[in-house]
Amino acid sequence: MSDKNKSIVYGLYNDETELLSAVKAANSAHLTIMDVFTPFPIHGLDPLLGLQESRLHIGGFIYGLLGTLTAFLGMTWIFTKDWPQIYGGKPHWAVPAFIPITFELTVLFASIGMVVTFYIINGLGPGVVNPCIDPRITDDKFCLAFDAHEVDPIQAENLLRSTGAAEINSKTL
Amino acid sequence: MNDYTFPSKVRTFLLGGIGLGFLCLALTFFMDGLDHHPRFWSNFLHNSVFFTGISLMATFFIAVCITAWAGWYTVFKRVWEAFSQFLMVGLVLMLIVGIGIYANWHHLYHWAAEGITDTASENFDSILAGKSGFLNPTWYVIIGSIIVLVWIFFAYKLRSLSLAEDEFGGNDNFSHHRSMRKWAAGFLPIVGFSSAAMIWLWVMSIDSHWYSTLYAWYCAASWFVAMIALTILVMIYLKSQGYFANVSNDHFHDLGKFMFAFSIFWTYLWFSQYMLIWYANVGEETVYFKTRIDHYPVLFYGNLILNFVMPFLVLMRNDTKRKFGTLIFVSIVVFFGHWWDYFLMIKPGVLESATHGHGIGEYTVGYTLPGLLEIGTMLGFLSLFLFVFFTILSRKSLLAKNDPYLAESLHHHV
Repeated sequence: MSDKNKSIVYGLYNDETELLSAVKAANSAHLTIMDVFTPFPIHGLDPLLGLQESRLHIGGFIYGLLGTLTAFLGMTWIFTKDWPQIYGGKPHWAVPAFIPITFELTVLFASIGMVVTFYIINGLGPGVVNPCIDPRITDDKFCLAFDAHEVDPIQAENLLRSTGAAEINSKTL
Repeated sequence: MNDYTFPSKVRTFLLGGIGLGFLCLALTFFMDGLDHHPRFWSNFLHNSVFFTGISLMATFFIAVCITAWAGWYTVFKRVWEAFSQFLMVGLVLMLIVGIGIYANWHHLYHWAAEGITDTASENFDSILAGKSGFLNPTWYVIIGSIIVLVWIFFAYKLRSLSLAEDEFGGNDNFSHHRSMRKWAAGFLPIVGFSSAAMIWLWVMSIDSHWYSTLYAWYCAASWFVAMIALTILVMIYLKSQGYFANVSNDHFHDLGKFMFAFSIFWTYLWFSQYMLIWYANVGEETVYFKTRIDHYPVLFYGNLILNFVMPFLVLMRNDTKRKFGTLIFVSIVVFFGHWWDYFLMIKPGVLESATHGHGIGEYTVGYTLPGLLEIGTMLGFLSLFLFVFFTILSRKSLLAKNDPYLAESLHHHV
């Protein structure tokens, strides 16, 4: 990613309720939160962080529609123009027989399209190394991180301390 | 407000609706040109089956939620408990149809015709004679009633345990809930098999030569979606009256998801049944769809648009499941759509029997399309359903205050 060498001030909490109240405190102190890292999704965190609903599903719909059209129009062309054959006395354009394949391709296009989009948007993929702020955020720690260029690091540290962070660190990634 | 009072205005309104239903039924009875009033009887059967099924699905879903240790629905579970009590009325309605078979009031079911199993008779039908071990008046009336009585027993049991929990629960080490869990788990296999048998008897046997193994699921899915749609409508109404303040958009979101998911499930079953029959192309199976596509095209294609395309496209978005406007719109369409679905299951077979297999060649109101009398009859039955529902709802507290899942339900968040 482009924003290399970020200096980050972060606190690790032991409990998600502490984290939630810390996020509220940061919001009311007008400290811009860089990000929050948690081992599992926490109810009520998204609205506090002011996160917008993901637009990934719009992409999913478009990919799905693309799959529907690919399968349906593809089969229509193959079975009526390119290589018409009679199977079981059915008409060339046998719509009911096309439906299962159309369904499958819709699902396939939507799922693969969404995964690829997700990877591209998030800069993920084979060979990409993503810095991890602390390995324990994948286990039992809840991390609240501030960008030291956006907020006053002293103020951020005070806030982390006053909201009960078990550990406070700073790091340059 | 935790106690529902049934306002006299609504009571009068619903009684008026029931009156309208009676009027429409009477008009269909006297305006019917064919022998044995097939239009009247098929309307009666259609609505009885539809609303009894909705009630059964409410009972079934309570049992499913209890067995699945689900907590989200607890805050409004009294609604489904009240829905489930309509089964008693359903039994009476279906008994009227059943007695009609003995008393020769109607010829809805060709298998009940005279001499159908008698080789000497000119009515003899070897296929129906072969099926007569199941398709006979005794099964329909006696065993059918026993099955519905079993359903009623479970609906009553689950509700009374829930009400007893209100009164004596809280300090009982969840004994009420444990007991409920046993009854609910016991009910599931019973309803799984018996609902299929009743659907075969009530609906599928109208096209008495035809059969489909998927049919029972398909009908049950139709009932289920209608039940969820009606739940959403009733809940939005009750919320607008100031009840169920604890029911949030998150609960509606989940109900919306059920409506969406089961609309697709219904379509899946519809299509599986259609495609297998289309693909195999066995004459005695294909005739079912052949008749419907050729003579009932509006119903046939309309069915798919109302029950699949419309809910699929509208409810696909996240926010449409959270807004009352779109939910009301989809619920009304889908509720009507599944009523329409049952119309299409019942009417062609009835007309076939009534015209002795000649069928019809053009649009006939009341058969190939629902007429105003059909709509009026449906509104009458709906009023009856809601009247029973509101009466039962007003008797007890709306909040299951000692249910162990209540706190979870109050904090439900999706």
